[in-house]
Amino acid sequence: MKYAFFVGCTTLSRLPGYEKSARKVAENLGIELLDMPGSGCCGTTYLETLDHRTGLAVAARNIAIAEEMGLDIVTICNGCTEVLTKANRELKENQKLRAEVNEVLAEAGKEFKGTVEVKHYVRVLKEDVGLDVIREKIPKSLTGLRVASHYGCHMLKPREILMSDDPENPTVLDDLVATTGAEPIDYPNKLECCAGPVMGVRENVTWSIGLDKVETVKLYGDALVTACPFCYLTYERCQLMQEENPELPVLHIPQLLGLAMGLDEDELGIGHNKVSSTCVLERLEG
Amino acid sequence: MTITVSREAKDFRRKVMETPGAEKLMRCYQCGTCTADCPIAKRVPEFRPRQIARLVMYGQKERLMEGDLLYLCAGCYTCYEHCPQEVHVSEVVSALRKISLDEGHLLPGFKALMEGVAEMGYIYEIDEFENEMREDDGLPPAPTPDTDGIEAVMRATGFLGKVEASKR
Repeated sequence: MKYAFFVGCTTLSRLPGYEKSARKVAENLGIELLDMPGSGCCGTTYLETLDHRTGLAVAARNIAIAEEMGLDIVTICNGCTEVLTKANRELKENQKLRAEVNEVLAEAGKEFKGTVEVKHYVRVLKEDVGLDVIREKIPKSLTGLRVASHYGCHMLKPREILMSDDPENPTVLDDLVATTGAEPIDYPNKLECCAGPVMGVRENVTWSIGLDKVETVKLYGDALVTACPFCYLTYERCQLMQEENPELPVLHIPQLLGLAMGLDEDELGIGHNKVSSTCVLERLEG
Repeated sequence: MTITVSREAKDFRRKVMETPGAEKLMRCYQCGTCTADCPIAKRVPEFRPRQIARLVMYGQKERLMEGDLLYLCAGCYTCYEHCPQEVHVSEVVSALRKISLDEGHLLPGFKALMEGVAEMGYIYEIDEFENEMREDDGLPPAPTPDTDGIEAVMRATGFLGKVEASKR
């Protein structure tokens, strides 16, 4: 199993723990992740709101690189997932738009052909690898650990474009959590946005939304897992900025899987997480 | 009292509705599901998706373009998914951002972000220093983006020129 690996700006520069664990867990499952030479920013979810055609072109330039490699793209950021999936869908379906965008892409010596798919890492794990195969790779257990999943918006929505999981009742992250022996929990504001995108406009709004989720999760669970660098940073930073004793560990989903797989803490970059994960590590059995 | 919608106001509304995704604006019957479910509206009293739809219907451009209103939308698509009339207020907000940029306005943070993508190929600088840190973590160097190609693409559509010339 081989994919073009689109890491995304924020993970590349700020979250080595996410990237390390994503690579390590993939390796352990026999997934080969190949770097995409010359790739850059997906364009951001902001760019597509400011100029549709430019957004498509910047995204398509990255997709064209995967096409040259002959590989489907795997993403680990919800923003990149939405941007690349949307561009891929629109350009595959709308020939007129594709011709317009290819005219612009020629400036970068690229052409969009429409030959690959874009998938978030967690979907690759569930749909392409399979939960049974993952369970076979898990010798340890996190029994008794109550884990809240935060899906984030752009992995799921708009539903008609992402076509992955039900945005009103998503299961992919909870299913992955369950493979570790931990208990996936429901909680009232599970589907609420992290508000990361307004961090640069009104920081206090993001902290307030982030802390609402943190405080709720603390009532029902022991840890929060995310599958997006922006969501992760929101829930980690809101605690560091606003609370004297940050208590809720936030883990990247491959970190949780990696621990249960018996992989080394350092190789999973657990030390990079700024809220202590001790309560998670203590639960690890076997 | 009769409410009269001026020609100018109707032109503005038409321009919004010509933007892909925002075509169904006039279906809005003001039920308020969007505002009730909006995570930002819960904390920011002046951000009301229902009101945004209403103001566009009546062509109230100045009120919509005030301050940072258009940039408070997190783009979470909750209103998009929950609207019983498929109005897609999130896409109406995108249309308003485009019109605002066409008229020369962009929030400074967004301007810096977009210029950064063109210049560095990433939203942050990922250079020797970052790659040394990555090496310490056993990670391969970050891909070197074709910045000339990215800038050329962003310029060819006219977007980068508009961003560079924009003011708040």
